[in-house]
Amino acid sequence: MKVPDVAIPDANQSQPRKTALRPLDIVSRGWSWLFLLLLIIFFSITGQGFLNIYNFQTIGADMALVLIMALGQTFVIISGGIDLSTGFVMGMASVTAALVMSHMGGSVPLFVVVLAGVAAALGIGLIPGLVNGVIIARLRVPPFIVTLGMYGIARGAGFILSGGQPVSIQTNGIGQIGNAYLLYLLPDGRFSFFHLPSNLQGIRPSQIVQLLPFPLILLVVVTLICAWLLWQTRFGRHTYAVGGSEEASRRAGIPVVRHTILIYVFSALMASLAGVLYTMRFSNGAADVGDPLLLTSIAAVIIGGASLLGGEGTILGTVIGALIIAIIQNGLIFLGINPFWQFIAVGAVIILAVLVDQAKKKLV
Amino acid sequence: MEDTELGKKSLNRREFLAGTAAVLAGGSFLAACGGSTSTPSSNSTNYTFVLIQGVKGDPFYVTMQKGAQQMADKLGVKLLVDGPAQFSATLQAPIVDAYIAKKVDVMIIAACDKQAMIAPLQRANDAGIKVISVDTFIGNGDYASGPVTFPLSYIGSDNVQGGKIAGEALIKAIGNKGGIYIENVTPGISTTDQRQQGCVEAIQATNGAVMLVGSNYDNDSAATASQQVSALLSSSKGAQVNGIFGTNLFSAEGAAQAVKNANKQGQIKIANFDAPQEAINDLNNGAVDLVIAQKPADMGSTAVQYGVYALTGKTSSIQKRVPTGYVVIDKTNVNDPASQAAIYKSS
Repeated sequence: MKVPDVAIPDANQSQPRKTALRPLDIVSRGWSWLFLLLLIIFFSITGQGFLNIYNFQTIGADMALVLIMALGQTFVIISGGIDLSTGFVMGMASVTAALVMSHMGGSVPLFVVVLAGVAAALGIGLIPGLVNGVIIARLRVPPFIVTLGMYGIARGAGFILSGGQPVSIQTNGIGQIGNAYLLYLLPDGRFSFFHLPSNLQGIRPSQIVQLLPFPLILLVVVTLICAWLLWQTRFGRHTYAVGGSEEASRRAGIPVVRHTILIYVFSALMASLAGVLYTMRFSNGAADVGDPLLLTSIAAVIIGGASLLGGEGTILGTVIGALIIAIIQNGLIFLGINPFWQFIAVGAVIILAVLVDQAKKKLV
Repeated sequence: MEDTELGKKSLNRREFLAGTAAVLAGGSFLAACGGSTSTPSSNSTNYTFVLIQGVKGDPFYVTMQKGAQQMADKLGVKLLVDGPAQFSATLQAPIVDAYIAKKVDVMIIAACDKQAMIAPLQRANDAGIKVISVDTFIGNGDYASGPVTFPLSYIGSDNVQGGKIAGEALIKAIGNKGGIYIENVTPGISTTDQRQQGCVEAIQATNGAVMLVGSNYDNDSAATASQQVSALLSSSKGAQVNGIFGTNLFSAEGAAQAVKNANKQGQIKIANFDAPQEAINDLNNGAVDLVIAQKPADMGSTAVQYGVYALTGKTSSIQKRVPTGYVVIDKTNVNDPASQAAIYKSS
């Protein structure tokens, strides 16, 4: 899906051939949607209790960390790069946020504590992003190597900042925000926003209907911003252009060096945002909290149709990629399947995604 | 880019559809496998328990699972077992959430992080699921009067005590004088950090007769542990080392390899925390000198028993803290029935 040029090759297609291919064309373009739908139907039939509002909100909230990292990675991969440092940048940011939030006492208003934590985490995230970007763009070292180096540096920095121990936040309010829902409905018809209604006598927690968890709301906002950035702005168009051909972009007058630096900064900031979200949801920060998510986040981008060669990829694709992985992981639990099968299932989907992509190119 | 595309054999339509079909068929195969893992009980009470391990596939947790399964069969409850692929709260929390949605009755969990897992487990408790900690705890582990009191019980070894037992046994083995080095796993894991703390306390209790030469983290890799200990032994500090405490299997095995490479086997004593079969093999062939075994099977069976107590209203039989104790195995007692029973099972 080479977005900016998509109209041009289509216009050049000979009309009869295109009509003949249309049904399969739709399948190959929308295969990830179709696959996701099939997965949901499959698990709904076979996994008792899978199809349930609570479960779907849970999937959405739990995939937020991976997807936020993956959204930043989408820009990097479209530009023809890769960022292996995001996992440990997330960990370092979560440690920083936890340190700042836990050191601000109870007298400070909660929103100030949250803002300070977010600012500190994003601030520290700027550093690895800038260093990655400058070395890749100016000194022309391959992104794989630079970000692998930063993977280690951010890991060490996270452990040093935290003294090797997870940093706990004792301020209750932080965890309450991270685990809050937008809307609470009580069985007696009362409702409230963001926190439970005060008088809960005689009502069991399991009777309260909770809608829209905080991480899901944040995720939707961040996804919309990323989609806008990639589709509607010059930043997005330049990202495709640099990934398509760096040389052509340079000749077209695109500031390739500056743009590449910005992309790695953006990726690090997204990883840091995931770090803050972790801190708020789990009331602590640790250097290694993001590492297990790194490869999953890259897998989501690839399943979403981005090419590691650059120039291709969409935000919607990445969202679907992350959803496919999250649904497989959740659904297999409902089927009672040994979790080791998750790796095989997700691995097979990655390969399938690339195969479909190649088939698609042949067809178009 | 275009060149590489042309070089590859592209898929035709049929191959593409066949590939899609293969993956979907794989999915149904997985589903078929899933059906066989459930064990219907004879005197069915229709209770479903889940044991969420700290990490999937570790002999320690496999042994715990066996203990839990035995008790589940005896009491007629259905036991599901799950766990993250890495020891990580980031990966464990979504599993907890899925089992809340699946509406199990009892959740027995070895939480990967004492703080991070509070919120997910609070959600489980709010949903009416009985939560029991095994091996590790949340909050400070004091469910009677600590900051977190909703879990029914914390059933597990006291790792500070375990480290102390290991340290004391190692001090005795090196003749109550000399230097001890500690090979630890990864900073921030409460259990292994507490084992190190316990060992350090044992060393301090000798009032200077035994000193701590140093410690390092091997990231749960025997190869890294081996490099670190090799470097230590060839450094100026090497001569001061009489004993090494490995806070888990890989740490001790790596240390043992390095000691063997330096031709100091037998001169430098090695204590290994945890007792999978490999550790016993190491003990038998002289690579390590002491093995400290926990009792994971007891943790599993007690937790299932407690879950049934809670569901049947016998809450007075439940203790908030159940320390499960240790067995210290060396060459002289390795063949005793008590030692043999303490060895972890890998399948």
